[in-house]
Amino acid sequence: MQDFLELTVSATASGCVYGLLALAYLLMIRPTGIINFAVGEWAMVGAFGGFLLLSKYEWNYAAGMAVVLAFMFLVGWATERIAVRPLVERGAPVLAPILALLGMLMVFREVVSVSFPPDPHPVPYPFGLGRLELGPLGGSYQSFFIIAVTLIVFAGFWYFFEKTLWGRSFEAVALNRRAAALMGINLSRVTALSFAGGAGVAGLAGLVVSPNISAHYLMGVPLAIQGFTALVIGGVGRVEGALLGGLLLAFAEQLTARYAPIPSGFAQGVPLLLMMVFLLLRPTGLLRAKT
Amino acid sequence: MNRFWLLAFLFLVNPATAQDTIRIGVVTDRVGVSKPYSEPSTEGLVFGAQVINARGGVLGKKIELLIEDDQSRPDISAAMARKLIDQGAVFIMSMSLTPATQQQQTVTMEAKTPQMTPMNSGDTLTTQLPNPYFWQTGPLGSIQIATLLAHARSKNLRKVALITDNTDLGQLLGRFFKAGLEKSGIQVVAEEVVPRGATTASPQMQKIRASSPDAMFMAGVLTAENVLIFKAYREFGLKFPIHSSYNLSVPVYMTVAKGLIDGVTFVDAYDPEKPEVKEFVAAYTKATGKAPFNMHGYGYDGIMLVAEAIKKAGSTDKEKIREAMQSLTYAGVMGKKGMQYKFPDGKRAGFDPDGMVVRVYENDQQGRVIYTGQK
Repeated sequence: MQDFLELTVSATASGCVYGLLALAYLLMIRPTGIINFAVGEWAMVGAFGGFLLLSKYEWNYAAGMAVVLAFMFLVGWATERIAVRPLVERGAPVLAPILALLGMLMVFREVVSVSFPPDPHPVPYPFGLGRLELGPLGGSYQSFFIIAVTLIVFAGFWYFFEKTLWGRSFEAVALNRRAAALMGINLSRVTALSFAGGAGVAGLAGLVVSPNISAHYLMGVPLAIQGFTALVIGGVGRVEGALLGGLLLAFAEQLTARYAPIPSGFAQGVPLLLMMVFLLLRPTGLLRAKT
Repeated sequence: MNRFWLLAFLFLVNPATAQDTIRIGVVTDRVGVSKPYSEPSTEGLVFGAQVINARGGVLGKKIELLIEDDQSRPDISAAMARKLIDQGAVFIMSMSLTPATQQQQTVTMEAKTPQMTPMNSGDTLTTQLPNPYFWQTGPLGSIQIATLLAHARSKNLRKVALITDNTDLGQLLGRFFKAGLEKSGIQVVAEEVVPRGATTASPQMQKIRASSPDAMFMAGVLTAENVLIFKAYREFGLKFPIHSSYNLSVPVYMTVAKGLIDGVTFVDAYDPEKPEVKEFVAAYTKATGKAPFNMHGYGYDGIMLVAEAIKKAGSTDKEKIREAMQSLTYAGVMGKKGMQYKFPDGKRAGFDPDGMVVRVYENDQQGRVIYTGQK
């Protein structure tokens, strides 16, 4: 039982990271239909921002986090202006910006690869390396920190989409771009903000997970895959689906690795199997968009 | 980016003609998965060439390095080897991943051009192809494991856990570890894999905790995933000793696993107390402003061996260099005190099987040698 309770905290924290990455995808897919696989590289950029500000220059954690987030918003906005908008304005098919963004993925990775030494770089824990016991649940400080940050982010985005006019305009664009444009919604602005928000959330995911896995130039691809898998499981229709998908994925990963009577090496295939099952049986994911 | 790549660039733009210099081709990895190992090894090699040239070069000519990036991709690697040979390289130094080095051999064997890897550890590099123009001076994986297992036997272990990652090399080392442990009569009670990109190693370490091992062996080669293992080990308050492959000899662990690694033993080919190492560290630090580590030593020894072979051959004729290389004996930076590289009985893997050491982390630093050889 002790193992299960420890895993509950550990899997919830991992699921929160996957959920944040799925949310980053979702923020861009909903209004634009564009899948941006550079999400993982954005997480990497956020992690390196953490390394620079928090490890190298030893900034206060909150200040460092705020600057990283602001920088990531800029990165997302610039990416949209460079790799997406020119193609959309020329009437290119939706595949064109997806391919352009794959090119940006390489650009982000290579810029980091040539700018930093190749080894993983340490990012400090905001509350140190310790263990917290909350009733029967026990886990690292960082696990509880990741869970808290994720809940705040998801609550904020839920409120944004459900309760604010700006959020409603995003939803309107997601439902019908042409009708939204006719209603006076600025499509370009919505698209730019969706990329800025996506980059911010992805960068945050990279920042909070980096004390555990370090900042490394090859860290982006696994995170991109985990986030996309979570998105497929949860569905692109609703914000809370991203979190649900992330949690399901992480619990499947970790419970399989701990309890399934199969060699440890095979356990890593279970989440991908789960994604295939969802694609076959419920291609819209667990949660569907509100009509 | 750093002084070494600038130096490498200067080597490339050196206006000297092929007649004035001896061209050595270098295939390295600047952006791929081997970059963390290839980059410092290549830096050591470039420094070695600088030292050789400062001493007057070889046969009265300066060494000119032609450096190409193969991204650790075997297909590109072979093309790069061909390009370097076409540019007049008389020797190819392979500073990339083992499969890439293997692929280069198809070119060097056909072109009858000497080739050497000073850093790859794959056991089959010199045995899969009957290529008399290829040598390997990095310690073989089997030597590393035998050394670590010899140390383990001295601890009278009965049952151990084994943990690795899902990379090809990690899996290969894991299999070697398991076979060696079982051959030594040590029972492997838990075998776990932490996949690349994992965000925690808690489930795997829980299973290992449940198996109550006398010790845990780490065969993984991914730094971030290994750090996850240390974090879970500390979080769960585990006490059994950890013995690791040579991957822990990379100094990055002193920063990314700070506070987590004291007491961990690891196999290495670098003894900081060896006179040649002290001399190398002093010279490298003076020239570059930063201290080298073991990976730099591999590249440094590599270029020194090549220079010795050319000197012994007395010519840049590839066949004469091949003959000289095969009969060479050389004491360098790497290996235990007194170790010499040699290629007896036509063998082309030159690292002494008894030349490795086991070291221990102390105060977050790579500490003293606690065991040598595999006897």
